Amino acid sequence: MHKLFSCLAVLVLTWACPLAHASEFVVEVTKGQTEAIPIAVVPFASAELTAASFDVAQLVSDDLARSGRFKTMDRKDMIEQPHTGANIGFDDWRRLNNDYMVVGSMQADGTDRFSITYELYNVLTKQRLLGFQISSNRAGLRSAGHQIADAVFEKILGIRGAFSTRIAYISVLGHLPDKTYQLIVADADGENPHVVMQSREPLMSPSWSPDGSSLAYVSFEQRLPTMYVQTLKTGDRRVVSAQAGVNQAPSWSPDGKKLALVLSTRDGNLDIYVKDLTTQQLSRITDDPGIDTEPQWSKDGQSIYFTSDRAGGPQIYKVGIRPGDKPRRLTFQGSYNARPRISPDESQLAFVTQENGDYRIATMDLRGRGDVQVLTKGHFDVSPSYAPNGAVLIYASRDKGRGVLALVSADGRVQQRLVSSEGELQEPAWAPF
Amino acid sequence: MPGFVREHSWPIVLSVVLHGALAAALLAATLISVNHSLPTMQPIPVDAVVVDSQVLHAAQRALTERAEQEAARVRAAADAKAAADAAAAQAAADAQMAAAKQQAAEEAKSAAAEVERTKQAEAAKASEAQKIAAAKRAEDAKRAEDAKRAEDAKRAEDAQRAAEAKQADDAKHAADLKAKAEREAELKRQLAEEEHVSAVEASPARAQYIARLAARIQNAWIKPPSARAGLDCIVNITQIPGGEVTSAHVSQCNGDAAARQSIENAVYRASPLPAPPDPALFERNLVIHFHPDE
Repeated sequence: MHKLFSCLAVLVLTWACPLAHASEFVVEVTKGQTEAIPIAVVPFASAELTAASFDVAQLVSDDLARSGRFKTMDRKDMIEQPHTGANIGFDDWRRLNNDYMVVGSMQADGTDRFSITYELYNVLTKQRLLGFQISSNRAGLRSAGHQIADAVFEKILGIRGAFSTRIAYISVLGHLPDKTYQLIVADADGENPHVVMQSREPLMSPSWSPDGSSLAYVSFEQRLPTMYVQTLKTGDRRVVSAQAGVNQAPSWSPDGKKLALVLSTRDGNLDIYVKDLTTQQLSRITDDPGIDTEPQWSKDGQSIYFTSDRAGGPQIYKVGIRPGDKPRRLTFQGSYNARPRISPDESQLAFVTQENGDYRIATMDLRGRGDVQVLTKGHFDVSPSYAPNGAVLIYASRDKGRGVLALVSADGRVQQRLVSSEGELQEPAWAPF
Repeated sequence: MPGFVREHSWPIVLSVVLHGALAAALLAATLISVNHSLPTMQPIPVDAVVVDSQVLHAAQRALTERAEQEAARVRAAADAKAAADAAAAQAAADAQMAAAKQQAAEEAKSAAAEVERTKQAEAAKASEAQKIAAAKRAEDAKRAEDAKRAEDAKRAEDAQRAAEAKQADDAKHAADLKAKAEREAELKRQLAEEEHVSAVEASPARAQYIARLAARIQNAWIKPPSARAGLDCIVNITQIPGGEVTSAHVSQCNGDAAARQSIENAVYRASPLPAPPDPALFERNLVIHFHPDE
C-alpha cells in the first residue's frame, strides 16, 4: 500500500512538473550510511588571544567528535582559516571532503569580556545554516563552546545536542584502610568536576531526579546502607529509605514523585518496591524468592524494568506497577544480562551482558524484532547510562587496572574515554537536559 | 367527461345531495359535542365520543357503499363501451389490410411486366453493339499497321538520337545516383542511431545505469537519526554531461529539515554521478526517490 502511494506520488510529480521528460529516470534509494558527517571547525581567534583565554573552536570540535556523529577535520589539514562566510572558498573545502564548516571570530571586550561570532555553513550547497553572537566572561567560555556545539549538532542532525549537560559518578581515592569515596558532578565531557558528597564509607548508585535538581544515592556512612536525596544547589539532603537490611538502586519515576528501590526482607530476599516521596507510602512491585534488583522506570511511568535471577542467571524483566501485574522476561541471549537502562525515547534497552567471561555494554531494540547488539569490546564494561538525547551512552570501564569512564555511541560505532585526573571512577549517571 | 356527466346526471346529483346531507349531519353532531364540553372545560365524556364515532362510522359506511355501487356502474358502462370500440377498430383494421393486400398484388404484377420489357430491349441493344464492335476492330487493325510502319522508321531515327543523348546523360546520372546513395546511407545511419537509442532505453543497460546511480547515491547518503523506514522524499536533480550535479531540489518530503538536507547533500556528495554504460542513456534530469526500508 505504501509502495503504491510512493509510486503515485512519483507519477503525480512527473505530470505536475512541466520540465519533466517522458523518459525521466526515477532512481530508488532505500539504504543509507550511518557514518560520521565530515565537518571542519576553523579556529576562531588568533593564537595569542586563544592562549590568553580559551580555545572555544577546539572545544566545539572535540564535542562534535566525541558524539560519534561527526568526523572533525584536523587543523593542520586546513589550507586556510577563514573567519566569515564571505572568505570561504567552498570548492576547496569540498575537495577536502567537508560537508559542513563552522567559522567564527572572538574578540576581547575589556579585561574579562569576550564576544564570539560564529556561523555554520553547508559546504555542498553553500548555504548559511546558523549565525550567532555570544558574549561571555572567561569562566563562561567553556559553556559557550558547548552551546555552539549543541546548536550545530541540532541544526545538522535534527536532534538536541547533549554537550551542555552534566554527569554524576562515584570516585574512589586511596587504598584500604585509607579510602575516600566521592560523589562528583561534572560537565558531560568530564571537565569541571565538583564534589557533591564525600565519605570514608562506600557511596553507591547515584540517580538523577527528572528535573536535574537532585540526586538520590546510597551511602554507608552510618555503616548500614541508607538512601538519601540531595538537592545540588543547596546541598540539603534527607533520608528517603533506611529500612533494616538492604536499601539500594534508587530510580526516579518520570514525574519525579516516586522512587523505585530495592529492599530486603528479614531472610535477605531482595524485591522491587516503589516509594511515594510525598506520602512516604511504600508498595511492593515484585515478590519472588530470587533476587530482583536494579529497577528502571518506563517512559510512561506505568512499568519497571529490572534484573532478576528467578530463572537461574540474571536476566532482564519488565513488570507493570499495578498490583497483580506479572513480570515479562525480555532478554534471552546469553546467561548474564543485567542493569537495564532505557533510551530516552524507549526505543532501545541498554544493559550489561557477559561474553566469554567479559562484561560488555549491549543494546536491545525494543520496537522491532528485539535485535541485540554488543557495543563495547572491553573486559569490564558496566553501568551504562544514556545521554538525554539518546545518541551516546556513558559507562564504567577499566584501563590498566584503573576504573575509568567511557563513551560509546548508541550504534556502537564510536568509542571514547573520558579523561580523568585520578581515582577509581564508577557508576556514571547522565543528567537530564 | 362531459358525456359521462350527461349520461349519469341523476346519480351524480343524488350523490352530491347525499354527501351534503352527511356533511351537515356530521358538522351538527360535532358542534353539539363541542358545545357540550366547552363551558365546563372538562375532558370530553367518553360516551359522547363513542356516539360521535358511531355516527361517523355509519355515515362513512353509507358513503362508501354508495360510492362503490356508483363505481361498479361506471365500470360496467365503460367496459361495454370499450368492447364496442375495440370491435369497430378491429373491423376497420381488417378492411384496410385487405385493401393493402390487393394493391400489393397489382403492383407486383405490373413490375413483372416491366422487367420482361426491359430484358427484351437489352437483348436487341447487345446484338447491335456486337456488330459495331466487329467493324471497329477491322478498322483498328488497319490503322495500327500503318502506324507501326511509320513508327519503325521514327524509332530508328530516335534510337540514334537517344544513344547520343544517353551518353551525355550517363555522366550526370552517375553523379545523381552517387548523391542519392549517400543521402540514403546518411538516413540509414540516423535511423539506426535512433533505433539504438530506443533499444538501449528499453534494454538491461538502462536498468544497469539506474542501479549504478542508486548505489552511488546510497553510498553518499549519511542518514540522520530521523531517516527511518517511513521517510519518503523525492529530489529532482540536474546533471551535465560528465555527471556533475548542477542542482538538487527536494520537491516532496515527509521528513524534517535534517532529513531534507541529508538528501540534498547525498546527491552533491555523489557528484560526479556515474556515466551511463551507453552515452545514449544520459539523462539531464533525474528523479531520486528516497525511502529507507529500515
